[in-house]
Amino acid sequence: MSAVLRPTPRATGTRADLKAGAKAGAKAGARPTSPAVIENNLLAALPRKDYQGIAADLQTVVLVYGDILYEPGEVLKHVYFPNNALVSLLTVVDGHLALEVGLIGREGILGVPLILGSRISPVRALVQGGGAAMRMDAARFLHHFRLSPALQKESYRYTFALMAQISQTAGCNRFHLLEQRLARWLLMTQDRVKSAQFRMTHEFLGHMLGVRRVGVTKAARNLQECGLIRYARGDISILDRAGLEAASCRCYSIVRDMNEPSRTHNGGNHNGVNHNRVNHNGGNHNGGNHNDAFPGMSSPRQK
Amino acid sequence: MPKPGVPARDAQDSPKKNLLLAALPPADYDHLLPQLEAFPLELGWAVYESGGEQSHLYFPTDSIVSLLYVMENGASAEIAVVGNEGAVGIALFMGGESTPSRAVVQSAGQAYRLKAKAAKAEFDRHGALQILLLRYTQALITQMAQTAVCNRHHTIEQQLCRWLLLSIDRLKSNKLTMTQDLIANMLGVRREGVTEAAGKLQAAGLIEYSRGKIAVLDRARLEQRACECYAVVKRESDRLLLTPPVTVPAAHEATA
Repeated sequence: MSAVLRPTPRATGTRADLKAGAKAGAKAGARPTSPAVIENNLLAALPRKDYQGIAADLQTVVLVYGDILYEPGEVLKHVYFPNNALVSLLTVVDGHLALEVGLIGREGILGVPLILGSRISPVRALVQGGGAAMRMDAARFLHHFRLSPALQKESYRYTFALMAQISQTAGCNRFHLLEQRLARWLLMTQDRVKSAQFRMTHEFLGHMLGVRRVGVTKAARNLQECGLIRYARGDISILDRAGLEAASCRCYSIVRDMNEPSRTHNGGNHNGVNHNRVNHNGGNHNGGNHNDAFPGMSSPRQK
Repeated sequence: MPKPGVPARDAQDSPKKNLLLAALPPADYDHLLPQLEAFPLELGWAVYESGGEQSHLYFPTDSIVSLLYVMENGASAEIAVVGNEGAVGIALFMGGESTPSRAVVQSAGQAYRLKAKAAKAEFDRHGALQILLLRYTQALITQMAQTAVCNRHHTIEQQLCRWLLLSIDRLKSNKLTMTQDLIANMLGVRREGVTEAAGKLQAAGLIEYSRGKIAVLDRARLEQRACECYAVVKRESDRLLLTPPVTVPAAHEATA
């Protein structure tokens, strides 16, 4: 997996990025340092001065697939700005049934409760794609947060985008076919890891989508038979992105558009992701497939 | 609590019936009061539409507003309810763009509203209202996430119990005016499913249901019958909103 998810080398960065990174490196001394290029979009969107103010407190860490960063009710010790790592927010009920309610990658920050004045995570945060992230001590984050209106603004904006993602997920789970949801989930993952290949077991996908393993197997087989993905022994390859977009529900494009900062100051890097603005299938996705949309139609509901 | 320069209002109808406004320190409350407009919310009125502009921030007192996820074909499902514990129009101060959700009055009643510009200005003062609104946002996120997982994993009957409890908590009354069609819309399920679940609850003596009125008769047993989602949302909401009174400027460190 690490071969697939290793940080993408970048040849170029903006001058501000490079300077900020160099300064951070100098301050941090022998510690793992900030990269020369700011990979996380939220950090990249900060004005240079604000970024420089916080860079010394950022530490590059490698998040490992399957690690749990927080459990529900746990006090947050750190915030994370993922580079190419991917973290799922899971709500757990009845002790074992889970559902992914949010997916955080390079576009955001893990630690929204701190932004909102709470120290406690209401959800489980599970590393779903191993990779690098910038980590900051929670107290340092709050310190910088108070001092930087730009950091506040970006954090609030991202929090709202995350809320949109959560509510979209709630509706999507209610109305859309498992196959559409799987397609959406694969696209969201690809956007965040910037790779068309990643590792994912059926069981893990079942937890994410809140369905049983057999349902995932069937939906994945359908996507594979349409030539959209290849799925073998936990390795997923996206073969036809446009086709996968057409197969997913509209929720994908709605949430993607909200996450995409319209500003590009400070060289916010969106390279590598094909943000196809074409409104594929014009909103009439798959016709009657889910027109009246009923709970349980995608999979048997579990008691 | 009429103030000089503000039209006297019925004591029954005070902005302080909204818990966010009630939690403001006196100075902040007095500052805000002249800008608050009493505004009745009628059943079914859309406070904001999907993708539409939000002109005001609303603080319900004895009304309930549903935040609904809307499909292109008009089907909808509730993602959260907002009553006297919260505010409607989070996007105004979070800097978010339009969302694919709409907010509809689910139970008619009173609200107080602030113009968008004033709400933004208040938020940017970094005072008590900002702290309260942010904490409320955290409670709202918890409610949305819990609703998502509840939709996925729990039976219609459990969901109906959760929904009834969340609603009567916000009304301070055990009676709701609500048709089964509306409940079905809220829960995003078929009417038959709601009829069946409501029938069971009625047969068990937990609720009484007739001609669009629902009375909760046995709250304790309704809680037992609900999934854990109700308790999770309530606990988180209480933790964030009822603990300790806001003191400025201890922003972001004020929660227990």
